[in-house]
Amino acid sequence: MLKALAAAGLVILFSSAAAFCQEDAPRPEIPDAAEIRQVAAKAVDGFIRPGYRNFLAAAGTLTEEMDRLCSAPSPEALARAKNALTAAGNRWGRIEIVRTGPAIEDNRFERILFYPDRKSIGLKQVQALLARPDESVTAPGGLSGKSVALQGFGALEFVLAGTGSEVLAQDAQSFRCRYGKAVAGNLEDIAAELTALWDAPNGIQQSWKEPGPDNPLFRNEQEAMTALLGILVHAAEMVRDQRIETFYRSGDKRSFPKQAIFWRSGNTWTMIEANLEGLQDLVGSSGMVALLPDDQRSIISSVQFVLKSMLRITRDMNPDVEAAVSDEAQRQKLDFLLVNGRDLISRLNDQYGGAIGLTSGFSFSDGD
Amino acid sequence: MAWRSDLIDRRSFMKAAGIGFAAVLSPRSLMALERSDAVYASGFRAPDGSFGIATVSERGEIIDRTALPARSHGMAFSPSAGRLVAFARRPGTFAMATDPFGKAAPVIISAPEGRHFYGHGAFSPDGRLLYASENDFDGNRGMIGVYDAVERFDRIGEFDAQGIGTHDMAVSDDGSMLVVANGGIETHPDFGRTKLNLDRMEPSLVLLDARDGSVIQRHSLPTSLRQLSTRHIAVGDAGQVWFACQWEGARNVSPPLVGHLARGSDIRFVALPEETTSGLANYVGAIAVNRQEGVVGLTSPKGGMAVNLDSRTGAVLGTEKIRDAAGVAPAAHGMAVSAYDGRFNDTRSAVAWDQHIIRLG
Repeated sequence: MLKALAAAGLVILFSSAAAFCQEDAPRPEIPDAAEIRQVAAKAVDGFIRPGYRNFLAAAGTLTEEMDRLCSAPSPEALARAKNALTAAGNRWGRIEIVRTGPAIEDNRFERILFYPDRKSIGLKQVQALLARPDESVTAPGGLSGKSVALQGFGALEFVLAGTGSEVLAQDAQSFRCRYGKAVAGNLEDIAAELTALWDAPNGIQQSWKEPGPDNPLFRNEQEAMTALLGILVHAAEMVRDQRIETFYRSGDKRSFPKQAIFWRSGNTWTMIEANLEGLQDLVGSSGMVALLPDDQRSIISSVQFVLKSMLRITRDMNPDVEAAVSDEAQRQKLDFLLVNGRDLISRLNDQYGGAIGLTSGFSFSDGD
Repeated sequence: MAWRSDLIDRRSFMKAAGIGFAAVLSPRSLMALERSDAVYASGFRAPDGSFGIATVSERGEIIDRTALPARSHGMAFSPSAGRLVAFARRPGTFAMATDPFGKAAPVIISAPEGRHFYGHGAFSPDGRLLYASENDFDGNRGMIGVYDAVERFDRIGEFDAQGIGTHDMAVSDDGSMLVVANGGIETHPDFGRTKLNLDRMEPSLVLLDARDGSVIQRHSLPTSLRQLSTRHIAVGDAGQVWFACQWEGARNVSPPLVGHLARGSDIRFVALPEETTSGLANYVGAIAVNRQEGVVGLTSPKGGMAVNLDSRTGAVLGTEKIRDAAGVAPAAHGMAVSAYDGRFNDTRSAVAWDQHIIRLG
């Protein structure tokens, strides 16, 4: 009886929804739930978990190289430590596109990478620490309670490549080196936490793989699919809007090469390349193309084509960002990346989102 | 305390608009306007990806469109000043003041350095001041910007919103108080729309003295509800302010999603039936009150549902599954509801309607 009354009330309370008069287009089919589960499982087991494990391994190598550098300093040891930083940055760059779950809890993301840092807060804190050494940061676990700006890649980059870093090749067990080793160890600790949280069989991986009414993340498969697409869209936006436009904008606008990520160590393009490789890997390994109707599967091949083009240009960029933004040929490549970055966002957001039932695209549908 | 009603009927709208406005409409638009009991405005995205704001008849037919430089979110309307303001979606830095009657040129309002708009605002009852919710992003605090709405919308002051992640806001009927919903979520334009503090949110609802921004009441949520983002506000009768929430915590719990408060009294949540909370997917995207009929309307794009409540008892009067349900506003009878897919009451247009609707007349 109550239901009947409520239904009768709706005739008055809501305007009739039955009389849509024009411009009515057929709606896309929502992908099959079982297929979405397969895609989510592949994303977790084929990309996310291996991504954190690879980051953990690279952070471990970085810690070892920092230890060797501190014990037996030499130009070669310094070079090996810098290479280990580049490798760990690359591994993080591939998995940092997952800005959801444990990575954004407990300040882990900011602890790993405090960027962008327009006001150079991190730089000032690291410089101050090096000028007035505080041994508590080099004690086991001593760094984890300090400012996030002192804990991650940005701090270690300055230690290894910033002003005064040449001392690392000469002085054994200098404070600068031991602080750098502590940062590397801190990165390894956080990587271990992330790996363990994603590897726990009943933890977040289960939430991604088994949506349902009792699931703390996703009540149904479509929510999981939307979250996966969100990772891709936000990552594409990050590459274009935060990693490139932070220092370069098209036209006559002023450039800020020293706002580029890791410009000191020449790793700006290492990171952007890693982000794009991460996107490429996630799109491929998740098998998300399987959720599209046959006649729309070219959306994914187009996405892969754009990613491939962007990667080709990225690998051709001058690691000296200041020189790059001053060179007309390099600026044209930067413009290419911005244009194609926008295209990539649109293909993921609008085309793929529309094809899986988000009729107005992913970003438009994320409420507010 | 009394609360302001923006509702004027279509005849009043036409009278305010004048002959000149009607003269520039297409015959189809004019017919839509003439047979409508109400006129609304809503932001939209066109098929070519451009953005704008449209006036819409009660049937959902588009009457007129104004282009916007980027995507908008909420709106403020002043019947006395005849001005409609569309605010950029966060972290946008523009708002556009238009004259829906076409008499005055649009004015672009820019957020000051170090601020962006959060997407909502409201006029003072006399239409002389515009208040806007803003983010002081380096200070990580919500602000209420105060603008001179008489001519050029110069920014003449600001109040501390007494919280972070400020979103919707309203003004009391007598203009003496501002009601502010601080969603509690930290964002920074350097990180786009990423929510930076979901594990340590600080939602709150605040009543401010409109004269100087001093705090009249501030309501934090209990620890168990710290992930309940208090985001949207609709003013009802007798000083009652309704608020709607978005839950950022675990999906397998059923948090309260709607409640009300008033000056001198604590916040009170409405206990929705389990299936209603579930149907709304723990997420209310918009709220409106039809004062004449005593109805509170809620919409959820995530749940694909619209819900009507009795404003006196909070009882559910009805629910309807509406995929991509976006905006809600009081209609001549019940509620007008829009959707991302272009539906607006009886009509589907080739646009994606944005999250909010405002009634103009």
